[in-house]
Formats: sequence, C-alpha cells, structure tokens
Amino acid sequence: MPVHKPERRLLHFISLAFVKKKVAGGGQRPVVAGLSLTSMIDFLVVTVVFLLMSFSASGEFGIPKGVQLPKAENVMDMIDAPVVAVTGRQILVDGAPAGNVGSIIEADRLQVIEELKVLLKQRREYWISLKGKDKPHPGVVVLTIDQNVPALVVKSVFQTAAQSGYPNVSFMVDSLPHAK
Amino acid sequence: MAGVDVGGGGGKKRAVDAEINMIPFIDLLLVTISFLLITAVWTHMARLNADAQVPGKPSDDPPVDGPKPKDLHIEMRGTEKFVLQWKQGQQVVNSVELPRKEVKIVQKSVEVIRFPDLAVKIAEEWKTNGQHAAATDEKTDRAVLHTDNKTEYKYIIGVIDALYSTQRDRTFPGGKTEKIPAFNVTFAVN
Repeated sequence: MPVHKPERRLLHFISLAFVKKKVAGGGQRPVVAGLSLTSMIDFLVVTVVFLLMSFSASGEFGIPKGVQLPKAENVMDMIDAPVVAVTGRQILVDGAPAGNVGSIIEADRLQVIEELKVLLKQRREYWISLKGKDKPHPGVVVLTIDQNVPALVVKSVFQTAAQSGYPNVSFMVDSLPHAK
Repeated sequence: MAGVDVGGGGGKKRAVDAEINMIPFIDLLLVTISFLLITAVWTHMARLNADAQVPGKPSDDPPVDGPKPKDLHIEMRGTEKFVLQWKQGQQVVNSVELPRKEVKIVQKSVEVIRFPDLAVKIAEEWKTNGQHAAATDEKTDRAVLHTDNKTEYKYIIGVIDALYSTQRDRTFPGGKTEKIPAFNVTFAVN
C-alpha cells in the first residue's frame, strides 16, 4: 500500500463547529469528560521514582525453602558475606550441603562440623587468593537459621564458623518495626 | 489519539513544534511500575551481630596487667527465671535474678518471642556496671549467653534482641555520632 502524505485532519484543521459544539455540551453539560494527561503522567513518574528508590538489594539473600527466620527489632543492615543456612534437616553454605542437623542432635554434644569447616576454609582461602594476603580477611559469616532449630545446632555452627576463621558471626532475622 | 500539539504551521509551512505521542510513554511507565511492583521484596532482612571471641595473632607486646573486664553473663537455662551475673574473670561481682516473662506475638502465623522485662533490667544493669559508656570508647561490654542444648533458636534471638535494645552513643574518628548496641554477645560453651 503506497504511503500518502497526511491530509488535513478533522477538528484540527477542519473545524466541524457543530461537532465541537455537541461535544462541549452546547451550553449544557458536556457528554465527553476530558482526561488530564499531565497529572496522570506526573503520578506515574512519581510512582516509578518512589519504587526505584525503595528497591532494596537485601532481598537478594536467598533463604532456603523450609527456613522460617525469627523476628527482631534491634537489628543492623545486612552485609555481603558467606551465608550458612540451617534448615530443620541440613546445613548449607551458599546452597551447597555442609552437614546434617540430625546427626548433631543424635550425638547430643557440642561439636565442630567437619564438612562445614572445610567449605568455610575454602571460601576464606579463595577470598585471600583474590584480594591478596596484605588485606585482612573480614571474617564475617551470616547464619540463616530456622527459628525452631535447637540451641545445640546453633552453638555447633557458631563454634565451627569461629574455628574456620569467621569470628564475626551475624544472625539473619526478619526486621520488625520498633515498638513504642 | 493522546498527544501534545501546540499547533503552528499555518496550513502550508511545516509545523515548528513536533507532536509527542504520549501513548508509548504512558505504556512504558505502566510496564515499569508493574515490573517494580512484581519484583519488589516486601520482607526486610537484617542481622544481629555476635562475636565468637577467637584469640588474635600472638603479639610481641607483654600482656598488660590491670583489672580484668567485667562481662555480663545471662543464664537462660531455667524455665522460671533469668540470672544476670557480672563477672570479672571467674569472680562474681554482682548477681540478679529476674522472673522469666516472655511475650509471644503471632505475626502472619510466625511466633515472635520478646522479653521486655529482661530488656529493661539489662539497661538498668548496664547503667550501673557497664564499663564502656563513653562515646569515644571503641570497645563494647561483652555479654555471654548460657543456654541449654534444647532451647529453640527463636528464644535465643529474643534474648539477644533484648540485649541489643540497650544502646549508647559512639563517636567515630570523623566526628560522626551513631547509636550502637552497648553489648556484644557471645555464647558460653557450657
């Protein structure tokens, strides 16, 4: 189909006074309501800006299925560090299996979890190989633990992390607003 | 069609002002809003800090003789009471007992454990016995948590949260002052 030069448009160049009069109401209430695009676009732009500013990277910390985090008020912002997750059944380091919760409960004593220790040491050595020996290792690890896990498992993971070169342990929690 | 046209051109000449088509612009904004709303994270993750107290590298400097720091030991093994003890090394300096009154709140089917009485008592104890209250002091008092092996993790977090409700001012070298927890928590091995 050939492309034609645009012709003159109705209502813009051809006035059609009777149509304008009808639409405008002709002294009565108009039949067509106008939509103010300016305010609508303003609203959309403000919404986009607000959503972009409130977009948080802290949601990127993947919480394994089956982990229900406890809630706390007096918290600190999250940091980027290796994540050790403890579900009701197993221990994971950044998603990789690193121990069994059942065997710790069965043993009924505080212990160093060897698989976890090996994986954490590997991560520490990898960090040092990347950053160089001159830069001190931060030694920070984040524990993502299900709220019903017994203290024996928590203490065992805590002690293992400390012995693997991660003395600064942080417990991941769901932030609560401050009560008045 | 929605658009912005300021007219011009006079019928013969080319219009000096171009017409901006608003529909794709509005479409773009709506798609952006939809994307941001769908990908938004509505739960806010945070952390509670703890210190595993691992000894550092051996130093050539001779050990400094002086009074040992006072630590607050929180005994939460009993179901009826908390025992708060200030210890200097192995010596008990002060000991207080507190009935264990927990407040359980259910939020979106998640049980939240709080110890408001414990938080108040810890704040009082720190005001009396705390050693690192100065804003320029970079150290914090240490709290040692004693818990039995069967206590559920949510109760431990409840106690740590009560501990961290006591806060103090800390002035950093640049002159900036912030509120920081008055205690740093660690676990007792027993």
